[in-house]
Amino acid sequence: MAKEKKLEVKDLVISFATVDGKVQAVRDISFDLYKGETLAIVGESGSGKSVTSKAIIGISSPNALIESGEIIYDGQDLLRITEDDFHKIRGDKIAMIFQDPLSSLNPIVKIGTQLTEAMILKNKASRKNCRKEFNQMLTDLFDNINKAEKDANVEANKALAKQFDEFNIFSINLENKYNFAVGAGEEYIPNADDLLLKVEKGVKSDFKKMSKLFVKDLRKCQHPYFVTKEVIDPIVARAEENHNKKYDFSVEVLAQCVQEGKEAVLSAQKLTKPNYFTIGYYAYAHPTEDLSKYTVEELNKLAREVLDKEFMLSFIDKVVVAMKQSDKDSCQGKRDLIDIIANNRGVFEKETLDKKECYETYKKLCAGVEASIDKLVVIKDSLAYTFKYSLKAALDKYFDAVNTNPKEQAKYDKSKAQWDRLNAKGKTPDWKVTPPAIIDLELTRKNILMILDRLVEKYENALADTGYDYEQGALNLIEFFKEKARGVVDVVTPARARAKALKLMEEVGIPDPAARFKQYPFEFSGGMRQRIVIAIALAANPDILICDEPTTALDVTIQAQILELINRIKAERNLSIIFITHDLGVVANMADRIAVMYAGKIVEYGTDKDIFYNPKHPYTWALLASMPDLETKEKLEAIPGTPPNMIFPPVGDAFAARNKHALQIDFEQQPPLFKINDDHYAATWLLHPDAPKVEPPRIVTQRIERMKAKSASLQQVKPVEVAVEKPAKKAPAKKAPAKKTTKKTKEGGDQ
Amino acid sequence: MNKVILKVENLSQYFKMGGRYLKAVDHVNFEINKGEVFGLVGESGCGKTTTGRTIIKLYNATGGNVYFDGQRIVAGIYDYKEAIKNAKLAYKQKVASGTATEADRIEMEEEVAKQRENIKKAKYDHKYCNRDHARKCVQELDEKWLPILQKAQLEHGVGSDEYKKLHAQYKHDRRVAKNERIVNKIQMIFQDPIGSLDPRMTVREIISEGLVIKGVKDKELIDQQVYDVLEKVGLVAQHANRYPHEFSGGQRQRIGVARSIIMKPDIIIADEPVSALDVSIQAQVINLLNELRHEMGLTILFVAHDLSVVKYFSDKIGVMYFGKMVEMATSDELFAHPCHPYTKALLSAIPLPDPDYEKTRTRIVYNPLRDHDYREEGPVMQEVTPGHYVLCNSEEKAKYLKEIEG
Repeated sequence: MAKEKKLEVKDLVISFATVDGKVQAVRDISFDLYKGETLAIVGESGSGKSVTSKAIIGISSPNALIESGEIIYDGQDLLRITEDDFHKIRGDKIAMIFQDPLSSLNPIVKIGTQLTEAMILKNKASRKNCRKEFNQMLTDLFDNINKAEKDANVEANKALAKQFDEFNIFSINLENKYNFAVGAGEEYIPNADDLLLKVEKGVKSDFKKMSKLFVKDLRKCQHPYFVTKEVIDPIVARAEENHNKKYDFSVEVLAQCVQEGKEAVLSAQKLTKPNYFTIGYYAYAHPTEDLSKYTVEELNKLAREVLDKEFMLSFIDKVVVAMKQSDKDSCQGKRDLIDIIANNRGVFEKETLDKKECYETYKKLCAGVEASIDKLVVIKDSLAYTFKYSLKAALDKYFDAVNTNPKEQAKYDKSKAQWDRLNAKGKTPDWKVTPPAIIDLELTRKNILMILDRLVEKYENALADTGYDYEQGALNLIEFFKEKARGVVDVVTPARARAKALKLMEEVGIPDPAARFKQYPFEFSGGMRQRIVIAIALAANPDILICDEPTTALDVTIQAQILELINRIKAERNLSIIFITHDLGVVANMADRIAVMYAGKIVEYGTDKDIFYNPKHPYTWALLASMPDLETKEKLEAIPGTPPNMIFPPVGDAFAARNKHALQIDFEQQPPLFKINDDHYAATWLLHPDAPKVEPPRIVTQRIERMKAKSASLQQVKPVEVAVEKPAKKAPAKKAPAKKTTKKTKEGGDQ
Repeated sequence: MNKVILKVENLSQYFKMGGRYLKAVDHVNFEINKGEVFGLVGESGCGKTTTGRTIIKLYNATGGNVYFDGQRIVAGIYDYKEAIKNAKLAYKQKVASGTATEADRIEMEEEVAKQRENIKKAKYDHKYCNRDHARKCVQELDEKWLPILQKAQLEHGVGSDEYKKLHAQYKHDRRVAKNERIVNKIQMIFQDPIGSLDPRMTVREIISEGLVIKGVKDKELIDQQVYDVLEKVGLVAQHANRYPHEFSGGQRQRIGVARSIIMKPDIIIADEPVSALDVSIQAQVINLLNELRHEMGLTILFVAHDLSVVKYFSDKIGVMYFGKMVEMATSDELFAHPCHPYTKALLSAIPLPDPDYEKTRTRIVYNPLRDHDYREEGPVMQEVTPGHYVLCNSEEKAKYLKEIEG
């Protein structure tokens, strides 16, 4: 199954206009980010990692010129949408953890306010948004049903839609109550353990206060299908009696109560979970019936039967009919559009384009695309949705350039003339002649044609592919409705936001969060502030998380804790992460795929295993060699020199000047991306069939062999001899490394 | 040559926080031999940096002593004060219970007098260690120069050029010797290469400042030394006229290193020198420190939180947790046989550039409440195996010993 693409970056080029000239920070990079995946971007400072991420979240500095490219998220091109539209995405859908915690916190607002403010504000907006999307999809669905049934029973369908809407919301409300109790139970167990330990070890603390807190916590777990009232009441009564006594408060009784509470919660966690989607319907359809007479299992079974019989099966049938209808319409639309494009392509093929004609064709094409989109498919076809924006942007750019190019040229000529005049007099002016910002018309026109061709190609492929599973599509659609209904019901009150914030603060390793909640940023140390920034980013519950060196300033234990937190949230919410760092250890922990960047280009791109066990680009080797691990003894190989000046980027491979394996061609021509396997690409001439064979530095090969031996020994196979022989062959002059490897592999074997 | 060059004895540094003390460093003991690199690790806020700063007298130590080359340079009085308080309290209790004798009183008074003497000595040493060192230096210089001068006086006469030249040289050296401070033998490299360099001074001024304060007035000599250290740290002489903002991060850190080695120190306290740098530049700076160490015979106290770098660079490692040293051993021993549960937790958190290992790595969580039982016997620093010290009680010691052997 192909993974869903969350974010596509295509041919991105970003430069900065500075006094000295144009700094080419990002030079033509492309990558995809899939759902539930971590992409790590690795490279030195100044390689364009942060520039790329800032462009994705739309906060490039004002002198940044985005020369070309697309960043596609959820059917929108993030480089082209307005600031108002971006407000709906930034923070809510795409969040970022910044490197510098000092500049990303407001010094005069308390930490608690900063944490909860966004949660409350964004919640309002996202509920509205979910409601809108829910309604839109429902309308589309029933329009299609009506169309397929030829408007035979419009009124009945209307009632059905209303019923579906109402019972969805109703059941999710019920489910939330249950989930709240389960969540409270999960929180209760570690707290109880802590308290019991304190009692056992005789640590001095305010047990009376803790007893009150414990009662409060246990009460939260109360739910008819979780820890029932009958179980909780006696425990709570005993604990309350105990701590309401004025003098002889007994720690033993408290410990007993906590222990019992813990057992109750643990046993409740083993119970069958009620299926609220079905139960919700049952309760909605039979509001007068008392559900407490059934057990959970009975109720689950009964509700499922009722739901299927009364509603779901017929509903799914209708959805399938609607999807077939919609698919049919969109196929027709696609065929029409291909015709339209074929007929009107000539307009854009002329030497100089006619403005009026172009924009008229643009409108015609937009209408065609609109008709060709299948709205009932949940995963949006990014190309079709962004077609409108990218074509408009390309056209605007062309006609703007027609206007501005002569002006720019004139400006340049003027200042050049003045410079020459002063120079002729023997003076050197203290200003510089900036080169004219002239846009290449021919390139822009070709870009327009490419946009058209890409869509046609995609549609032709889509028309050829006919095996679409409507049943699965219908289920996906129902999932989509459920998700949106969840969003509609999810109300964040200030109290809930506070509870959530406290939990997050605890998770990112801030001790005593309740007291810290009321403090100002200056009262926190650097590491603490960084953790607050991370908590804020996670609080927004984003789709895509961009982490710009989030843990560089933190120490190992907290770093490990935060990486675990991010990984857990990723698994829970199927989050996509872009992780920027230069610490390869962290990369190995987090990344599914890795892009190594140097001088604004991606030089190597592959899965984590490809990059660490089979690196191909000399720059990747250099990065790996310059980092010590726990078994490194020999001198580290630092990368000589500094990254190139990006005002005048090198002609050939940018890394050639610092690369001791550089070939002659590296200085003359840029290497293309060579394919090593389906996921692994590297841009180096060393991979060309005619290139001489070059081995990675010894420190890297040794480490790779060590790692292989280690993982092999974990799987209890014995490839030790193979691992020993290789380095001995490679470095016959130096015996020491071979010996070392033997020792290491043996150690690895012991483990 | 296992000569102890720096000895830290029961060093404590408390900060006042409202009515109580924040024990940033609490009775820390360690020794560094000459030419060794001692790594100090621990999570942020555990007192690593404070230890370094207290040793170099940026803070006034609350209690304990630091000996440099046998000479006490840092001395705190807290422990003595506590001893006086306890002695008085014990006597008072005896009086209250009616068992006090004359002998007890005399004993108490003797104890108090002894501790007061200690306090006096500690205060003197803490304040005047530099002056005493300077006097010693001047004395040595005089012993060396006076015969030479006398000889010159006899041979050439007082008014002769030769004598004048020699005398001028003597005066210059004497001025330098007078300004000699023993703490100058310990230099520090700071964490933040941007924040630790004055943006309004040229590199030459930054690097030569120490010499100027010391009283060196010979411009040519200063320049020569500045160029020498610049070359040593991998920069060129032309860089001396530039300002810090014209350098990249790695070069700035090199300037910081140059500033500390121009004083010809015996010990360098490197306070997270590579934490703020890129990987490739990190390697450059570590290689540089390594070269300098062998070339100049430096002893380094390396404070860092990146354990793979510490492991690579240090001979001995001390692990700190909340102001206390919990484990101390040679770096290989510490990584092969970690004993204290906190050390284990710390080691289990190191990320390594190995995806297969990383994705299966499980972190150990340290919970002092769960991992120790100090109800009956409190922990002290004990030697489990030769050279391997752990903060534990006797029960735990037996357990750790078993772990190492098994």
